[in-house]
Amino acid sequence: MSAGFKGRREDRRLITGKGCFTTDWKLPGELHAVFLRADRAHAEIRSMDITPALAVAGVVAVFTGEDAERAGIKTPPSFVTFPGKGGQMIKTPARPVLATRRVRFVGENVAMVVATSALAAQDGVEAIAIDYADLPSVVDVDDAVAAGAPQLYPEIPGNVCFEYEYGDEARTDEAFSRAAHVTKLSLDSQRVVGNPMEPRSCIASYDREKDVYDVYSSTQGMGMMRGGLSAFTGIPPQKIRVHALDVGGGFGIRSGPYPEYPVLMLAAKQLGKTVRWTGTRSETISSDYHGRAIRLAGELALDGDGKFLGIRIRWTCNQGAYLSGAGPLINTANPALTSCGTYSIPAVHGVHRLGLTNTTPITAYRGAGRPDMAYIIERMVDQAALETGVDRLELRRRNFIPKEAFPFQTQVDAVYDSGDFRALLDESVVQAGWKDFETRRAEAKKRGKLRGIGCGVFIEPAGSGLLPKDQVSIKFGSSGEIKVYSLSGPSGQGHETVFADIVAEALGLASEVIEVRAGDPDGPQDFAATGTIGSRSMMHHGSAMLNGANEAIRKGMDLAARDLEVASADLEYKNGEYRVKGTDRAVKLLDLARKYAAKGATPLDTIGEMAMHRAFPSGAHVAEVEIDPDTGVVDVLSYIGVDDCGRIINHTLLEGQMHGGILQGAGQVFGEHCVYDRATGQLMTGSFMDYYMPRAGLVPTIELYDHPVPSPNNPLGVKGAGEAGTTGALPTLMNAILDALRPAGVGHLDMPATPSRVWNILQDARQAARAN
Amino acid sequence: MAKVELTVNGQKVSKDVEDRTLLANFLRDELGLTGTHIGCDTSQCGCCTVHVNGRAVKSCTMLVVQASGSEVVTIEGLAPKDGLHPVQKAFSECHALQCGFCTPGMIMAVAGMLKDNPKPNDEQIIHGLEGNLCRCTGYINIVKAVKQASGQAV
Repeated sequence: MSAGFKGRREDRRLITGKGCFTTDWKLPGELHAVFLRADRAHAEIRSMDITPALAVAGVVAVFTGEDAERAGIKTPPSFVTFPGKGGQMIKTPARPVLATRRVRFVGENVAMVVATSALAAQDGVEAIAIDYADLPSVVDVDDAVAAGAPQLYPEIPGNVCFEYEYGDEARTDEAFSRAAHVTKLSLDSQRVVGNPMEPRSCIASYDREKDVYDVYSSTQGMGMMRGGLSAFTGIPPQKIRVHALDVGGGFGIRSGPYPEYPVLMLAAKQLGKTVRWTGTRSETISSDYHGRAIRLAGELALDGDGKFLGIRIRWTCNQGAYLSGAGPLINTANPALTSCGTYSIPAVHGVHRLGLTNTTPITAYRGAGRPDMAYIIERMVDQAALETGVDRLELRRRNFIPKEAFPFQTQVDAVYDSGDFRALLDESVVQAGWKDFETRRAEAKKRGKLRGIGCGVFIEPAGSGLLPKDQVSIKFGSSGEIKVYSLSGPSGQGHETVFADIVAEALGLASEVIEVRAGDPDGPQDFAATGTIGSRSMMHHGSAMLNGANEAIRKGMDLAARDLEVASADLEYKNGEYRVKGTDRAVKLLDLARKYAAKGATPLDTIGEMAMHRAFPSGAHVAEVEIDPDTGVVDVLSYIGVDDCGRIINHTLLEGQMHGGILQGAGQVFGEHCVYDRATGQLMTGSFMDYYMPRAGLVPTIELYDHPVPSPNNPLGVKGAGEAGTTGALPTLMNAILDALRPAGVGHLDMPATPSRVWNILQDARQAARAN
Repeated sequence: MAKVELTVNGQKVSKDVEDRTLLANFLRDELGLTGTHIGCDTSQCGCCTVHVNGRAVKSCTMLVVQASGSEVVTIEGLAPKDGLHPVQKAFSECHALQCGFCTPGMIMAVAGMLKDNPKPNDEQIIHGLEGNLCRCTGYINIVKAVKQASGQAV
């Protein structure tokens, strides 16, 4: 906690119950929608009769896939437009927003009932008579790509819609042919559910006179939501107003629209009423796009001195039944960027396959391919250390990209901007007391416990986006106030607080005069930006704030020169005022703003811009764990993070991002697992009764240390922080758990390390030892 | 239909409701007290926690008819007008909230916990938070906020 932290501007409304999340909006004359969803994994819809639903008291209308098709609504293609292996292009299955002839996963939307109350709409859904002819289903990606598997689409034979290749195969083969040792490892990064605490919901209304839609929904960026809704419906984005005052968590899965939203827009227009849909947690779990679901395989070639010669990555993602916008991207080009991790590896070759199954589609989920890449690399490095007898810290130090080598061009299309990996690791092992660990392990052993320590050193791409640049709008008001508009779409990151601080500091003003509005549909419409995805907001929106403030100062220089009747070259700007150098003659920026705003002109108003760019945050994390072999319970005793997120703007907010990120990683490590029954395709973890969520105390303490190396790629020198914690947590915690288990004869474990799984694997090891 | 009479945030309320109406929906839909959030369908997340006769209760797990005759306090009524309860203050000062969706339920649960145990230790705090889920903070700063609100060193 920073000493000066007194809370965020956002906090007051949120701690007093005055926040406004999607379902908190109350609009006049609302109707309520409930969706009929597929209760099975794969089936043909033989027939569907909606007349019994229309007969239910209170039901106003029922919308089906035919209605949506007639209205021209169609799911837009994914963001992957680049060629894959051998020049192939991605095969995108068409997804009707309401299923028409076939359902392909449990939870898929089939019809929408609109009624005067939510209960009546639910009764209507239950009255719909639907006749399915079940088809064989496949939910496991290895099963799906095997010969003889049930096929989801005749036009996508073998259920593989894309193969992506990067690096240099011949060079990598040659490197492996020279290797003194090759380490091979296969791992599972299991399917997880993002589960923002706010269930997914949406309200739509239509203004016939203006021909404008109002859509209320949680989003990670108004521009992305508008653009996405436009792509679904063909309605121009300027005719769609998106309202998102408070957003109850995003984590990647709430960046763009879902198929329910355009159907609600259609209903709002056809019925001339506001239509509200409040999702349940079970709907959120079954129909919000999922995360991870990746089978990872890696090979690492080492020479006789423990230097890495080459790396191979084989990555198969279970994309689900359809493609989300981001799902294919974050499983191909994105993780390829860090396929050598923090190491100098002269040869890299990767092949990533995207398989289709009867499961919910996959999208970006906190880390979005980064944790998975860091996980396979860092577990391989530990494995290689074990196999070659080189100390695992020493092996890393021998292979780190040295800090003198930046900017570092990787074997793939990435330039790491800056970093100091060795310093990160060195500090983390000191803070963790690594050198005395064996004493602690021995002491734990006396108590019958298995103690382990592990590290993960990682790097990840942050930034970039869907547009060539990000813009913010700075408006000077007539009462001396400044309104800053952004399209960043925050969901807890504190943009209202920290962006105001950036502008205030640049202008030399108190931040109280600045109000940040992050996604105001009534604000100016003449700017564009990508939202809060890819750990990018401070890099892009934050930098655009700084650039905009500096540009406003420059514009004010001419006005001040006119007012003070001097040449602008004679002026200097400091502490919110223009002063004639060496005199006490000055004019305040806000007085200029008042003066010119009062005349109806606002020449100080500025669009601040930041061009698309990347930076690469990195970190070294160390965890120490203790396992009770009688119960399989793993306790996290300490978690140390030494992170390079570039320059730090607000330390408390940064820590908050790291804490949350680390716990989301810990959730996947210790329990989160979205499970489908392999035989029937039924979703087995459809509520919080079955889906594990991390709770208080899972990681009781986190110690964070900063090692900022400012990024040269943006004026703030920042690198992004939203996903680093998750990226570090997967390899760090699993390496610690494996370190604890190895003395008991366990050589391999996949996530999640649940007590049952840990206990069973220890029993297996004990029996194997006895048999020998 | 059933008639319910209860006191909510010090105000007497009398309404006819469908028998199956949950306290959470009654507070949100009938009284407009949207600070009480509904985050799951199964009483796991605790976003809907309010006080009924001084005890923290998940309002999605109680029919409003069961609360008839009770004193109910929601997040909107926890502190005197324009003031803040020590738990609210501590959550803000310790950065124990990010998106804020779980926060009202979290604060009501913690305020309830501190009535039973004014100086909980770490283990007791973690146990006391078991019924409330947060996806943003990793709970680290929430535990700090509980300590600060109970006057213990953070």
